[in-house]
Amino acid sequence: MSFEEVDKGTHVVLAPEGKFNMVAAPPLKTRIDDLVAAGKTHLVVDLHGVDFIDSSGLGALIGGLKAARQQGGDLRIAAVGEQALAVLKLTNLDRILSPYATVEEALHDW
Amino acid sequence: MTMLPSTGREEAELVAQNASADRYDRFVRLAQAIFGAPIAALNLISKESQFTVASVGYPKGEIPVEDSICRVTVEQDHAIEVRDLREDERFASLPEVAGGPRIRFYAGTPVRGQSGQNIGALCILDLVPRRLGRQQLEMLSDLGALLERELAVQEEMDLAGQVQQLMLPTSAPDIPGVEIAGRVQPAREAGGDYFDWFVVNDPDGGGKRLQVGLGDVMGKGLAASLIASEVRAVLRGHSRYTDVGHAIMRTSTTTRHDLEASDRFSTLWVGRLDPSTGALDYVDAGHGLAIIASERGYRRLNQEYLPLGAPIEDTWTRASDVLAEDELLVVVSDGVFDVLDDSFEQVEARLDDILAPGLSCQQIVDGIVDFAVSNAATDDVTALVLRRVATAGADSPSAPSTF
Repeated sequence: MSFEEVDKGTHVVLAPEGKFNMVAAPPLKTRIDDLVAAGKTHLVVDLHGVDFIDSSGLGALIGGLKAARQQGGDLRIAAVGEQALAVLKLTNLDRILSPYATVEEALHDW
Repeated sequence: MTMLPSTGREEAELVAQNASADRYDRFVRLAQAIFGAPIAALNLISKESQFTVASVGYPKGEIPVEDSICRVTVEQDHAIEVRDLREDERFASLPEVAGGPRIRFYAGTPVRGQSGQNIGALCILDLVPRRLGRQQLEMLSDLGALLERELAVQEEMDLAGQVQQLMLPTSAPDIPGVEIAGRVQPAREAGGDYFDWFVVNDPDGGGKRLQVGLGDVMGKGLAASLIASEVRAVLRGHSRYTDVGHAIMRTSTTTRHDLEASDRFSTLWVGRLDPSTGALDYVDAGHGLAIIASERGYRRLNQEYLPLGAPIEDTWTRASDVLAEDELLVVVSDGVFDVLDDSFEQVEARLDDILAPGLSCQQIVDGIVDFAVSNAATDDVTALVLRRVATAGADSPSAPSTF
């Protein structure tokens, strides 16, 4: 599993694909940590290509969110599929990781 | 000939008994392919038998140790080869050499168990005399060392899983008026799911209460199980002194460092029941999968709180409900929810199965877990089911049996 990465200057968009699980999540989390350490603290994870997310995937997003916020930035998720929405809602993690419909909407105040 | 110390022989027998059907097959397949031999096997040598636990070109199973070739290899500290077994008096009269399949060539490397003693050998056999030479014999040793490592890791994992299972409550709680059952089926040997129950004194002086809980630490396997053990133990400690809401808050504070350091979070549902009245306090820390069900329908016992280990502290204040005498409290992990497509419509559709008359809590739990496992659950799967039962002396013609 690989993920697309586009650096837009003001923010970076990461787009994992397929199953975002215990195999795919750690590399993305490592990349987020590297980006945050390099001062890229405004991140969008575009989930349009993800058809399944498990708790490890959620953990990577929450960990990334934490890392970004600690450096004064934020991590937002966009184009979240039905299954991922259900998991976010069930765990109440949508309270801190609000899903945006599109990447553009996620950027609204950046 | 010196005999192998008995511990190695006993360990061999234990490993042989626990070896799953195909766990070590890839090693013998690899040996067969590398050395171009028609037969490759992993043989474990106990006091009385040789157990072939993995093989190609040769049946798995047990033969008397006197008929084994590998019994010689386990007494070495290096790989050996025998160019022609018929010309070696140690082996010439063995059934497999003298009779079918008329094995001629043997090379084997000893394999150590956790005790550090040899418990068996990885071997290759051929029907014609041949010679491997030093380099290939070293490769066989290397393969044996890999296999040793696999055996060791597997044994560690099995032990970790056993310890985790032993932490689960097995006996009925020492409080009258309840029937309860729970079960965890980890996706691997150990996992991040657990359930618990124990009796606590109500901090408000109301008497004994039954506390039940089900937690799910993000991820699977040994790493998740370490954190699960910690959360379980910390919650147990705090629960003795306060209500469920404060117990969870304190548990969050106590475990925060470890959860954050490992980038994990734990969902948790905890309830505290007065079996005599059905009064139930509960806290839902991002778990969401607790219901009370009866023939009248079901209601969720969920709250808006975050799991433990999320970036912000939550308040985790208890909510209250009442468990009526004909109602079931059912808590499951998301491994169960996943096979229901993460949908409560599907949960509702399956309610009749768990509400069928005459089922014990254990049967309901088994039904839920088996259903999830048979539907290819990839995550840990856990279920906990509880109901009130009439206490001794009360008139109760339909009291379900307890285990």
